[in-house]
Order: sequence, then structure tokens, then C-alpha cells
Amino acid sequence: MGFQAVTTRRQFAGLLAGSVLGLAQRGHAAEPQAAASGGSGVLQVGFDGAAVVRFVLDPHNSLFAPHNRVLRSIFDNLVVLQADQSLAPWLATAWEISPDRTAYTFSLRRDVVFHDGTVFDAAAVKANFDRLAAPGTVLYARAEIGPYASAEVLAADRVRIHLHRPFEPLLRNLSSTKLAIVSPTAVAKYGDVFGQNPVGTGPFRFTGLTQGTEIRLERNPAYHWAPPTAGHSGPAYVEKLIFKNVPEQATRVAALQSGQVQVADLIPSQYLAAVKADPDLHLLQKELLNTNYALSLNAQRAPWDDEEIRRAVRLSLDIGAIVRVVYLGTTPRAWSPLSPSLFASAEKELTGSWKPDVKAAAAILDRKGWVAGADGVRVKDGKRLTISFIDTQGNREQRLDVIQLVRRQLAHIGIGFSIDSQPAGAYLQKIAEGDFDLAAGAQFADDPDVLRRYYVPAARTVGAGIRVNDPELSGWLEQAAEESDVTKRAALYIKAQHRIIDKEYAIPVYVLLYNLATSNGVTGITIDTHGFPIFHDARLVTS
Amino acid sequence: MLFVTRRLLAACGVILGTITLVFFILYWLPGDPAALIAGDDASVAMVANIRAKLGTTAPLWQQYITYLVHLAHGDFGTSFTTNEPVWHRLAAQLPATLQLTFCASLVALTLGLTFGMLAAVNRDGWLDHFLQTLSMFFTSMPSFWMGLLLILIFSVGLRWLPAVGSGSFRQVILPALCLGLNVSAWLSGMVRNSVIEVLEEPFITTLRGKGLRERQILATHVLRNALIPLVTMFGLLAGELISSTVVVETIFARQGLGRLLVESVGVKDIPVVMGVTIFASGVFVLINLLVDLSYLWIDPRIKA
Repeated sequence: MGFQAVTTRRQFAGLLAGSVLGLAQRGHAAEPQAAASGGSGVLQVGFDGAAVVRFVLDPHNSLFAPHNRVLRSIFDNLVVLQADQSLAPWLATAWEISPDRTAYTFSLRRDVVFHDGTVFDAAAVKANFDRLAAPGTVLYARAEIGPYASAEVLAADRVRIHLHRPFEPLLRNLSSTKLAIVSPTAVAKYGDVFGQNPVGTGPFRFTGLTQGTEIRLERNPAYHWAPPTAGHSGPAYVEKLIFKNVPEQATRVAALQSGQVQVADLIPSQYLAAVKADPDLHLLQKELLNTNYALSLNAQRAPWDDEEIRRAVRLSLDIGAIVRVVYLGTTPRAWSPLSPSLFASAEKELTGSWKPDVKAAAAILDRKGWVAGADGVRVKDGKRLTISFIDTQGNREQRLDVIQLVRRQLAHIGIGFSIDSQPAGAYLQKIAEGDFDLAAGAQFADDPDVLRRYYVPAARTVGAGIRVNDPELSGWLEQAAEESDVTKRAALYIKAQHRIIDKEYAIPVYVLLYNLATSNGVTGITIDTHGFPIFHDARLVTS
Repeated sequence: MLFVTRRLLAACGVILGTITLVFFILYWLPGDPAALIAGDDASVAMVANIRAKLGTTAPLWQQYITYLVHLAHGDFGTSFTTNEPVWHRLAAQLPATLQLTFCASLVALTLGLTFGMLAAVNRDGWLDHFLQTLSMFFTSMPSFWMGLLLILIFSVGLRWLPAVGSGSFRQVILPALCLGLNVSAWLSGMVRNSVIEVLEEPFITTLRGKGLRERQILATHVLRNALIPLVTMFGLLAGELISSTVVVETIFARQGLGRLLVESVGVKDIPVVMGVTIFASGVFVLINLLVDLSYLWIDPRIKA
């Protein structure tokens, strides 16, 4: 209860601050742009790094999206994902795949150097793969290279990656920050604290950090190997790039409006209208490639193991209305497990595939013997029909607001609801033990193979709040990971997504849009296909 | 001297007790640090690898003894999450915390003493009522709300002061006001009551009868007598200031031990939580020791 009270208070403060901001702004519209951006060539970015005090800037060991957004400026990849979801050369100039799909041969650029002066070559690529695959590894990105067997240096600029069996997600995974190329020399030098001393080949090099509050980068003057998706190939235009962690959303917007930062990301929906209307600010928005935020009932625990009961829950929910109310029309509603732009997303096919129907839901529950008890909650054999929702993230992206409306809608039909709010540790333990009725989440994804790590029990990751054992679904997902024919592969994923929705394994809620607002003095910032900000083409315009 | 020795021994006992209590609470809390470090996307094998690396598989009593032995050698251990020595992580946050706590105490003491005295002297007058209302206002205003207001007025509106960050003096002004105003409101109420109590004592009437001027009475006699309960309160206040910084640190995007502690508890970075706890309890005990010692100076009737 206390937790909810805090949520509402915070929200109230946010809304009120929003209206005050609106008023305060008008006073300044005429004021000349503060000298904050100046001609100094320092670009300051206020980002939502959450109340996290440790920055881990090791691409192979950071699952945390805000840190990956910073990493993007320090590191490059072998390949780049283009807007049409196809892959283009970056540090690798070309690649060939053996007929049996278990050997990938990459030709590499010969003119690339790491920030520490060491040369990027085939041995460096091999070292990156071997680092991930080392026995006893504790690196998150291990799963991204799948059935990796070994790497073979063919020449200084040619390397061959051998796999135990075909793994079609590999190239797409190689375009993600999780498999960015790190300096093997720096890894050897810094060991466990490489995450605090990142060295890559990117347009900006790391100069220092203040744990929890600030990450400082400066232009890499040698840079001339930007990917084809970039606006120019040479060194970045701004001299210094400073990331400031401003976890409180109202403060982040205030820091932008006061000119203390020139860029602020993840502007919450209640400020979006004000930001769009402000002539001094500019808004960029793009879908983050991920699994859509979705609710998942524990399909291995009674009574939710009954498909019809799960259907009754879904029929009771008007997801469209919830998303409109909570996100004020700024966020699209989701229909499929995978975000719309991701390869093989079934968003189009699934749009409009089901409708809320409270009467039908009630009919199912009546038929199954769940009848209304004294307090309105349905009862069967002395057991109450209640959902315990497990949560650890609080109201990030206003997710608890969504859950509160879910609770209200379920109450109408006679399903009780409680929020089991846990610290991260206890949360993971309960998830691992399957001790929950309902869980929810989203995870950034480079390839639909992410579904395999959710729905195939043997491949399931520790924190996946999904309890489904559907051998047929598992079969399709495992087959898809090895299917070389793109059309067939996509068809398998489409089929899998239909199954996930048809069986109510997941109820998708919203599509996450990544956004950032910039003051007018800044141009050239873009958001890449994955949904990560690119500062390489950014310029400070001095008037 | 016996007094000091006794107090120092008691202080060591308190710190050891805290260490023991926090250590066992942390391990009894649900959640496996290895699973947390591995993250949502980790495989079961990876969690096992991390567990082995952390050494959290040994029996609890053994881990406790090992921890104490290391501590006795001045080794606070290594952070589970960043692999840095705990001492480095503490040292990184410490300057910002000290700066904030010091400035906030300064705000709290200056305003609290001034307004408390003014209210007491003008007891039941309009100034007294005004200050009491003001103090009620600041006491009941939660710090996250006060912080946002300060940012809106001084950063967005007037553009006088930066909204976020830590390091420079300009960056500590708003957070210190945010934290200090709340405490000063509370303190001024205490000062007012304490001063009024002393003013009602018979010796004040005697002093007045002897023809001393009111200002003299206040400065030399009233304040000193009113100080004892206040100094005691300040000792407790130090704990309050150390522990309540986390909200202010988050709003103003500052560094600080508060955020470090809260985050470390969340991810069960046990060595860091222990480090912050030991440090905070050490400071708390030290301040209260100084408070006890200051009694000797303030009121010579208290015998060592």
C-alpha cells in the first residue's frame, strides 16, 4: 500500500511540475539562447540512467539499456543494421558463409586502430570471440554468439568463425552493442574493471567518469571508418561529449530547459506535448527494437494453466484504452510479442486480432465454476480467483500505472489483484521458482531469436518471467534459429507469435519509443535502427 | 579521561554490533547476488560461474569470520558489481556527501537558531506565529517536491543555479537548501521551546532584576542553557542528514553515499553495503561522542 501511495505522489508531483514548467517557459521564449552550448564544442547529454550508481561500460557485460546508449559512441561493430533491417559492412568489409552455415569468413578493414593505439585486425576479432566463449565466463553477451566453436586467423585482415551448428541470428547479433569490438590489449590490462575503462574504436574515446553521475568522452581524431548509415565518415564534429545521469524525469526536462544540458532523453509522456510545442526544443523519436512490454500469466500454475481461464483474463482487459489513458496518446499499443520494426514481427498480422469482451469473459468463468463471492471476487472450492503480480522496477515508463488500470478492469469481472513488489534479488528468486501469477517486461532484441530465450524452457534465461512449456512452439523456435532461408525463417517466427497470442501466453501492451529532445543549438543527432542515439554527426550551431 | 575511554569502547561495541546485524540481515534477505549480477538474460550455468567467483557458496559463519578478519586488516573487500575495491567506491562518493551534509547542516543551524530565537523572544507575537506557520510549511513539504520547486524557480525560471550534478559549490546550493530548510524548520521549533523554557526559569527574573539588558541575558545566559538539549538533538540530526540524502541526491542527480547504499542493497552488493554501513555508523558514533564531550564544556556541572 505504502508503495502505491508513493507512486501516486510522485506522479502528482510530475504532473504539477509539468504545468508549472509550461508557465515558466513562456517567460523565457524571448530570451536569447543561453551561452550554455557556446562555441566550446562540448555537447552535454542528460540521460535517464536510473538511480544506478555503477556505470558498466563493457559492451560484453552490460545489459542495461542506458549504458548501451553511451557505449554506442565508444565502440564499433563488424556490421551495421540498416533502416530496412538488412546488414551492411562496418569494421568488416565483406563476409561469406559456408554452405553448411557453420563457418563465417569476415574480411576486415586494415586502417582501423583502437583508442589505445593498438591495431584492429583478425587477431583482435578472434580475441573478442574467445573472451566471450572462455570457460567460466561471467559475461552477459555470451549467449549472443550462440554455438560458437572457434575463430581462425586466416590473414591479418581475414578471420573465420566456426560454429558447432548453424546459428542464423549471428550476423544480426553482431550489429548490436552487445557484440561491439573491444580492445583485447585493454581487456588484458584492465581485466575485471574494463567496464570502468572502456577502449574501443568508436568516434569518441573514453576520458573518465564520475560513478553514478557523469561519463566523459572526447572526439577520436583518427576516426574515419563510420558505417554507411552515418552522415559522414570522418571524426565527430563535437570535441567533447558528456553524459550526465539525471534519473528524475522532471529534473531531466528542467536541466534541458535551463540550458544546463543540450540533449535529454526518455522524455515522459506528460511532458511530450510541452516539448513539442516549445520553439526552443526539438524532439526525436524512434521505436526501440525489442520485445514489446507484455503481461504474461504463469501458464504452469493453476488456475492459469487452463487456456480458457487465461482467455477470460485477456477478454476482461481493454489494452487499447489503458495505453491511451496512461500514455496520453504518445505511445502506440502493441499487438505482437516483437516490436513492429523488428525482422519477422507479426505486428501487422496480429493487429486487431482480438477484442475485449467482458460478457464472454464472465461466461467462461461462470462455466468453469468460478462464482462471485461475498466481496465480489470469484470463488471456487473455497479458493479465491486472485492474481499476484510480481514487480521490481516500480513505475519506470509508467508501467505501474498500466498495472493499476489492469487491476481495475479485472476487478469488474471478479478477479482479485495484488502487487508483489520485491527488491531485485527477491524478484529474481521468485521468478526462478515460478512463484508468481503474472509478470511483465520488455527486453531489447536484435533478432526474433529472443523468443527462443523466453519460450524454450531449456534456453530460458534466469529472469524471463515466462512459464510456458509448449513443445511445438519450442520446436519452431529452435528450428528457426538454424533456418537459413530468410522467408522460411520469418514464417516460423510469425507462426510462433500467433501461437503466443492465440494461447494467451503473452498479452502485449505497448511499443516502446525511444525519444530525445535537443535544444535548437544542436543538429545532426540521429537514432539508429536499434533505437540508440548517434552523436557522431552532431554539431553545435552557434548563433 | 575514563569517560572518554568508556565512550570509545562503547563506540567500538556499537560498530561491531552494527556490522554483525547488517551482515546477517543481508544474507538472510531473499535473493542470490550471483543471479542479480548475472542479470535477467543470463543462463543458469553463468549464474553458477559467478557464484563460484564471489565465494558466496561457503557456510555463512565462515564468510562472516573471513569478512571480520579482512576488515581487521583494513580490507573492505571488492564490490560484487564493479569488481573495484569497496574503498574506492566509497571514496568516489564521499566528497559529494560530505559537501552536501556540511552545507545542509550550515543552512539548518543558521536558519534554525535564528528563527527559533526570534520566535521565542517574540513569543505569541505576530512574528512568532508567522515563523511557526513557515516552519510547519517547510516541515510538511516532502523533499522531492521541494527539490522540484527549487529547480523550477532557480534553474528553469531565473537560470541562476544549475539543476543537476555535483562537484562545484554552485551545484550544492539548491540541494543543501532542499535538505537544510526541512531540518531548519524542525530545529527552529526545538530552539523556540528550549529558549522559552529557559526564559521562564527563576534565574532569568533575577538577572532582569539585577538590571541586565535583555540582549545580554539572551546571548550569555539563555542560549548556553538552551544549548544542551539542542546539541543532543544535533547528534541525532547528523544521522538523519546522512540517511535522508538519497532522495535529494536522486532529484539533483548528485553523487552520494545515499544512492550508493540504496542501489547496493537493491542488487545485494554486500561488500559495498557493509562498507557504507560501517562508515555511516562510524561517523554517527563519532559525532555523538563529540556531542557527549561537548556537554562537559557547555555545562560544567556534568562530571566526567
